[in-house]
Amino acid sequence: MKQYLIIGNSAAGISAVEAIRKDDKSSKVTVVSDEEGQAYCRCLISYYLAGDVRADKIFYRPESFYRENNVQLFSNKRVTGIDVKKNLVTCADNSQLNYDSLLISTGASAIVPDVKGINQKGVFVFRTINDAKGIESSLPGVKTACVLGGGLVGLKAAYALRKRKLDVKIIVKSKQILSQMLDNVAAGLVQKRLESYGIEVIIGQDAAEIIGDGKVKAVKLTDNKEIQCSLVVAGRGVSPNIDLAKAAGIKVNKGIIADSALRTSAANIFCAGDVSETYDLALGDFAVNALWTMAVEQGKASGMNMSGGKVDYPGSIGMNATEFFSLPIVSLGINKIKEGAQGYEQSQTLDAKNSIYKKIILKGNFLVGAVLIGNIKNSGVLLRLIRERINVSLFKDELLDENFGFARIIDSVKERERIYV
Amino acid sequence: MKQLYYKIKKCLGCKSCEIVCAVAHSASGDLFKALKEEVLSLPRKKVSFAKGNNYPLSCRHCQEPKCVDACMAAALKYDTEKKLVVHDKTRCVGCWMCIMSCPYGAIWPDAKVKIPLRCDKCQDKEEPSCLKACPTGAVAWEEV
Repeated sequence: MKQYLIIGNSAAGISAVEAIRKDDKSSKVTVVSDEEGQAYCRCLISYYLAGDVRADKIFYRPESFYRENNVQLFSNKRVTGIDVKKNLVTCADNSQLNYDSLLISTGASAIVPDVKGINQKGVFVFRTINDAKGIESSLPGVKTACVLGGGLVGLKAAYALRKRKLDVKIIVKSKQILSQMLDNVAAGLVQKRLESYGIEVIIGQDAAEIIGDGKVKAVKLTDNKEIQCSLVVAGRGVSPNIDLAKAAGIKVNKGIIADSALRTSAANIFCAGDVSETYDLALGDFAVNALWTMAVEQGKASGMNMSGGKVDYPGSIGMNATEFFSLPIVSLGINKIKEGAQGYEQSQTLDAKNSIYKKIILKGNFLVGAVLIGNIKNSGVLLRLIRERINVSLFKDELLDENFGFARIIDSVKERERIYV
Repeated sequence: MKQLYYKIKKCLGCKSCEIVCAVAHSASGDLFKALKEEVLSLPRKKVSFAKGNNYPLSCRHCQEPKCVDACMAAALKYDTEKKLVVHDKTRCVGCWMCIMSCPYGAIWPDAKVKIPLRCDKCQDKEEPSCLKACPTGAVAWEEV
């Protein structure tokens, strides 16, 4: 009987389990995770902290999931080594697990910034449900919180803390918030919205020191100004958990390099989710696209391939959707043309008064990126144009139109449309 | 399993289906009362226009639904028995990942209530309300 082993119990791991069990009901499936208990929706931790989502709604699958799928779950168990020759993994408790087919979906970890005084009480990262619970239990008595980092994680933490009625200050090193996701025009609109809801955004400053006596008292900025606060949340991005794969001699770059079947360089080992580096459809190069959606798709494809399928994973794409204080945001593929990059063109429309902004980036006759603020309808159609590399020459000038949608691209998509007769 | 089909040559773009859809999903189920409801009911389908034709657009309940993969709150699920993509309002946080992922643009944000609007094929009724609302018979409800 075949033994499947999955390291990681989140989006990619769970999707792989479901894909494996679709075709293979009898083989042994084992999931190992260093987190506690059943899989939860990681992206909901900010909504949990904000009080928008109750603790019992955060689980990704019902408790019965593992039993119903005949999965052996080892939680609170950390894998420390993979022996690719013996098809064996070793755990921190010295136990060993063998596999015929292994999925590395170890995810990513929050980056702890290298700042003086960071290891004090009241400083948190924001990645796991335990981080969120830790922040929550520290809230009584806290009036002001500083968030380090203007990326999505930082902003979500800021949103949650603001909803908990704290004074929130976001300290952003770069020239704009959401620099990985948006251009400066879009970022400006989002910043304005955050500010109108009482969040202070400090641009172009970094934390030089966390001041305290073992417990946070203030954050000192690079311009020497001090902000009194008793809570600091570091949202400085994540780094893929590649150490395990690297030590096993598996080919890694920023993430574990995955081929078009989600195989790693080692035999019988696949990878999926935030740890994987896959072909990026918009960039035309390999990239780590750490997003729930991508992890699910990759988990599914790798699971099918692990159980004998021959599924081609065409590639990932950097994208995201979210909303801050009723301002919806969608970012797809390339969000700004790099200086000196040849062959790209962009066009945009802006209605600053109503916070509506729409920008598209083209390379020749192909859409490679879009940023939508305020009005996000039909963003899925734009995503499709990027994903399926659909030639847009027939409707290039209409892409920004209010009514541009699926009807316009029907003749250009490969699939035969059966809804319209 | 029945599916909604649209005979585009018959569609005049009158949007009767949109109105009936909004009313059918309102609290009262009555046009005039629905207009006065606290939260205005919005249509789960839209008629769009392209190249001289009208294209009514609604959720196809894909068997490999991108929106379900994208749903980070596990609010969207594919019900294999009913062959429907179902939405659990109590889990939805309005992150709009589903809207970003729908290759048909057949999900719309209800900005007020923070939930995605999608055709549910009028699950609580015998047939979708838009079927009889169409004056030209452009909406068809047939076995796949």
